[in-house]
Amino acid sequence: MREADDVDDVDFRALVRARLEPLDVDAARAADIVDELAQHCAQQYADLVASGVDQRDALTRALAPLENRRRVVDEIARADRPRRSAPPPPASSTHLVVDLWRDVRYGLRLLHRSPGFTAVAVMTLALGIGANAAIFSVVNAVLLRPLPFADPARLVDVGEPGPDGRAGNVGFTTVVDWRERTHAFDEIAMIRSWYPTLIANGQPERIPAMRVSANFLRTLGVAPALGRDFAAADDTPAGWHVLILSDGLWRRRFNADPAVIGRVVTMNDQPYTVGGVMPPSFAPIISEHFYEPAQMWALLGYDRSQPFACRSCQHLKAIARLEPDTAIGAALVDVNGVHAALRREHPAEYGAATAIAVTPLADELAGNVRAPLFALMGAVAIVLLIAAANVASLLLARVADRERDLALRTALGASRGRIVRQLLVESSLVAWLGGLAGIALAAAVVPLVADLSPVPIARLATARVDVAVVIFALAVSFGTTVVFGLAPALRASRVDLQTTLRAEARHSAANPTSVARRLLIAANVALAVVLLAGAGLMIKSVGRLLGVDPGFDPDHVLTMQISMVGKAYAKNEAVVAKGDEMLAALRRLPGVESVALAGQIPLAGNVDRWGLHVEGRPVTPDDPFVERYSVTPTYFAVMRIPLRRGRLITDADRASTEPVMVIGDRTARTVWPNGDPIGQHVRIGGSDGPMYTIVGIVGDVRHVALAAPPTLQMYTAQAQLTDSFLTVVMRSASDFGLLAPAARQAIWSAASDVPVYRVDAMRTLVARSVGARRFVAILLELFGAVALVMTAVGVYGVISYSVAERTREIGIRSALGASRADIVRLVLANGLALVFAGLATGIVLAVATTRFLDNSLYGVSATDPATLAAVASVLFTVAAAAHLVPIARAMRVDPAIALRQD
Amino acid sequence: MSEDRELRKGSAETVILALLEERDRHGYEIAKLIDQRSDGALKFHVASLYPTLYRLERRGLIQGRWVERSNTRRRRFYRLTAQGQKTLEAQRRSWKAFFAALNRVARISHA
Repeated sequence: MREADDVDDVDFRALVRARLEPLDVDAARAADIVDELAQHCAQQYADLVASGVDQRDALTRALAPLENRRRVVDEIARADRPRRSAPPPPASSTHLVVDLWRDVRYGLRLLHRSPGFTAVAVMTLALGIGANAAIFSVVNAVLLRPLPFADPARLVDVGEPGPDGRAGNVGFTTVVDWRERTHAFDEIAMIRSWYPTLIANGQPERIPAMRVSANFLRTLGVAPALGRDFAAADDTPAGWHVLILSDGLWRRRFNADPAVIGRVVTMNDQPYTVGGVMPPSFAPIISEHFYEPAQMWALLGYDRSQPFACRSCQHLKAIARLEPDTAIGAALVDVNGVHAALRREHPAEYGAATAIAVTPLADELAGNVRAPLFALMGAVAIVLLIAAANVASLLLARVADRERDLALRTALGASRGRIVRQLLVESSLVAWLGGLAGIALAAAVVPLVADLSPVPIARLATARVDVAVVIFALAVSFGTTVVFGLAPALRASRVDLQTTLRAEARHSAANPTSVARRLLIAANVALAVVLLAGAGLMIKSVGRLLGVDPGFDPDHVLTMQISMVGKAYAKNEAVVAKGDEMLAALRRLPGVESVALAGQIPLAGNVDRWGLHVEGRPVTPDDPFVERYSVTPTYFAVMRIPLRRGRLITDADRASTEPVMVIGDRTARTVWPNGDPIGQHVRIGGSDGPMYTIVGIVGDVRHVALAAPPTLQMYTAQAQLTDSFLTVVMRSASDFGLLAPAARQAIWSAASDVPVYRVDAMRTLVARSVGARRFVAILLELFGAVALVMTAVGVYGVISYSVAERTREIGIRSALGASRADIVRLVLANGLALVFAGLATGIVLAVATTRFLDNSLYGVSATDPATLAAVASVLFTVAAAAHLVPIARAMRVDPAIALRQD
Repeated sequence: MSEDRELRKGSAETVILALLEERDRHGYEIAKLIDQRSDGALKFHVASLYPTLYRLERRGLIQGRWVERSNTRRRRFYRLTAQGQKTLEAQRRSWKAFFAALNRVARISHA
C-alpha cells in the first residue's frame, strides 16, 4: 500500500502531459496516450522504489526517456493514426490524405519554429516566382493571348515583304485583283492611316484615324455597338464620307449621345455622316501597330481609275481572313500564283520580283517585341534558378542540422519513402508560400510595367495577373519544388545511421551534404555571371548608342507636328504661304534662335522613300530608293547638319524657279561613285515628274534609328515640293515648358485651323529611339541586382554554415597554435575556390548564351571581354564581402568551448 | 553501440509480437518481460516502446483495448491479431534463415 500511496502522491499524468508537447492527435486520443504512458512510468517508479532506489532517483529514471520531448512527440504522432476497427487496406487514398495533412501540419510547425529560414526562403522564391509571373503576364498579354477578334488564327497580313521578311505595303488595284482571283481568302481588307482635323471649341484637334475598305470590320469579325457596319455600296470615291467612331471618341467629343447616328460632322471642310460607334472592347491594336491608335474609321473610297490606286502605289496594308481550314502555306501558294500572273500581265507596273509574304496577324503585331521579351523570359528564368539553388542550399543545411533526428526516425522504422515525403512536403510548403507571395508581388508590379515601357507595345496595357498567370506561377512553384526539394530529400533519406548517430560525423568537412550545397552555390555564382553579363552588355549598348553621332545636334531643339489639310490648303501655294507666316510668327518669340519646317525629321518615326533616276541613265526597277525630306531653308541651321560641298536650299528657291535638291554624303557616294553629283539632274518618283538639279551635299543623318547606319537621303525645298504634314523645329535655349505653349499660340495666330500635336524635345525623340533597348537594359539590370543579392546571401549562408560545421576543427587548429591569419586563410580558401569555379563556369555559359542578345546589342560584342571582366570582378567582390561575417565568427572561436562541444 | 541499437530495433517488432502470441499484455509488462528474458541485453523504455506498439496497431498486427477492473485503474492490453500471427511467423522464418546463414558464414551458433 505504501507504494500505491507514493505513486498516488505523484501525478504522473501531469508529468507526462507536460513532457509531451501538444500531441498532433485529437484530444481524446491524446488523453489515452498520456494515460497509458503515465501508467507505465508510475509502475516503473513503483518497482524502482520497491527495489530500494531513492524516490527522487526513481522519479528521474522513470521519466528520463521522455526528456527528449520533441522526438517522443514526433514519434508518437507519427506512429499513431486514427484508429479503425478493421486494419486499413494498405495505402488507401484516405490514408494518404490523412498522412499528407499530418505532414503538412508538421511541416508548418517546423517552418514556424525557424522563422529566419522561412522568411529568407519564402522571400527568395517570391522574388524568383514574382519576376517570372510578371514577365509571363506581359508575354501572355502581348504574345500568347489570342487577338480580340473572331477566330483570330485565320487573320493574316498579306503584302510584298519588307526588309524584315514580314508582309509590307500593297497597292489598291493589286489587292482588287487578288480578291477576284485567289481562293484561299475569305476576305481581304485594306487599311491606311488618316489624320482628319476635328474643330471644336475653337481648337483644332488632329484625330488619329483609319481609312478602311468596307469589309474591314467583317474581316476581323467585329461589329459596331451602335448604328451599322460600313456598306460596300458606299465604298466609292463619292460615297466614302461615313464615319464609325471609337467608344472613347464618342464619349469624349459626343457626350456618349446615342442620337449621334446619322449626325453630320464637318472635318477638313468636308461633311461626314456618323454611321456607327464601336464597342469599348474594340481596342485599336492594328492601327496602333502600323500607325497611331485610331479613334475613328472612314471608308477607303478608292476605285481603279484614281492615280493613287495604281498597282505600284504601295501605301495600303492588306489584312485578310483565311478560308476555314486553310493553311498559311496554301495561301502563300495561291496568292503567289495569282501575283506571278499579274506580274506577267503588267510588267511595267511591278518592281523587282519578290514573293508575296503572308504573315499571321498575331506574329506581325508581336514582331518587334518578341525577341526582347524572350530575352527577359530567359533572364527571369535564371533569377528563378538562382532562387531555387539558394533555397535548395538552405534546405540542405536544414537537412544537415536534422540528420540525427532523421537517422533516429529511420532507426525507429520510418521508411525511406516516408522521410522523402515529409521533406518534400516541407519544401512544397516553402514553394507554395513563395509562389503565393510571388503572385502578390507580380500583381503589384504588372500594372506599372505599361507605364515603364518607353515604346508603345501592342496589348501591353492589357497585361495583368489573371488565371493563366496564376496557373503559370503555381506550375513554376511546383516545378521548383521538385527541382530544389528532391535533392535534399533524397540526400536525407540516405542518411547513414551509423556515422550520423555518432556525433563526430557532423564535424567532418567532407560531409556530402556540404558538397552538394557548395556545388549549388558555385552554380548560383555561374548563373549570376550570365545574367549580369547580359545586363552589362545591354547597358553598354545603350551607352554606345547614346554616344553615336546622329549627324545633327539634338540639344535645344523643340519639335511640334502640324498638318495643313482641308479646302483652305488644297493648293500648294496656300500651304507654303501659311507656313511662311507661321515661321515669321515663331521667329518673333523671345529666345528662338532659328526655326524651320520639315516634312520628316529624324527619329520621329516618319519615312518617305522615292525612287531616284539620274538623267541620262536608263530607268530600272533597281534604281535606288532614297529618303526624301522637304524642308525650309533654315532647316540645316536649326538641326546643325553640316554642308559638305555646294550650297544649301535658299529662300530664292521658289515654285517658279528651277527645282533644286541637296543630297546626303552616302547618296553622293552610292549613286555617283566616280563622278561629281553637283550639277547633275535627277527625277524622283514616277518618270513624268520635274527634273531636279543637285546643288549641294550635306552630312548624313541617322533618320530611322540611332542603331541603323545612315540611309540614302535627299532634301527638296518645301516651296517646290510641298508637304502638308509638317514638323516645326525650333532651336532655342529657353525652357521648353514655357516655349511650347507660346509656340502653339504663335502657330494659331497665323492659322487657327491647324492642329498642333506631338510636341517633343529632339532629345526626347533620341532617348525614345533607344527606349526599347533601355527598357530591356533596365529590367536586366534589376534582375541582375536581385541575382547579386541572392548570390551574396547564398555564399554567406554556405560559408557561415561551413564555419559552424568546422568550429571544432578551427578550435583544434587555434589550440595547436594557428594564427588568426591562418584561420582567415582557411575560411577564404574554402569559399573562394567555390566562387572561382562558379565564375569560370559562368563565363563559359555567358559566352554561350549572350549571343541570343546579338540583335539587341550595339557597338559591343556579345562576348565583350571588358564586360565579362567587370561582371566577374563585381561578383568576386560581393562574394568576398559575404565572407567577412563568417571570418569574424571563425576568429572568435574559443578553442576551449569548441573542443568541449557535444 | 549503434550496431546494437539497429539490431535491437530491427528485432523489436518480432519480440513484441512473440510476447503477445503467448497472451494479451499491457505495455509495462511487455517492456519488463523483454528486459528479463534478454537478461537486460534488450531494453525498451517508454519513449521507444509505445511508438512501436502504435505502429504495429496501425498496421493491424496487434489490437489494443482498455480493460477496467474494479480495484485498479483501467489498463490498455494488446492482443495479437490474425494478421499479426501471420507476420510473426514470416518474421520467424526470415530470422531463422538469417541466423542460419550467419552461422554458416561467421560460425556463430545460437541457442
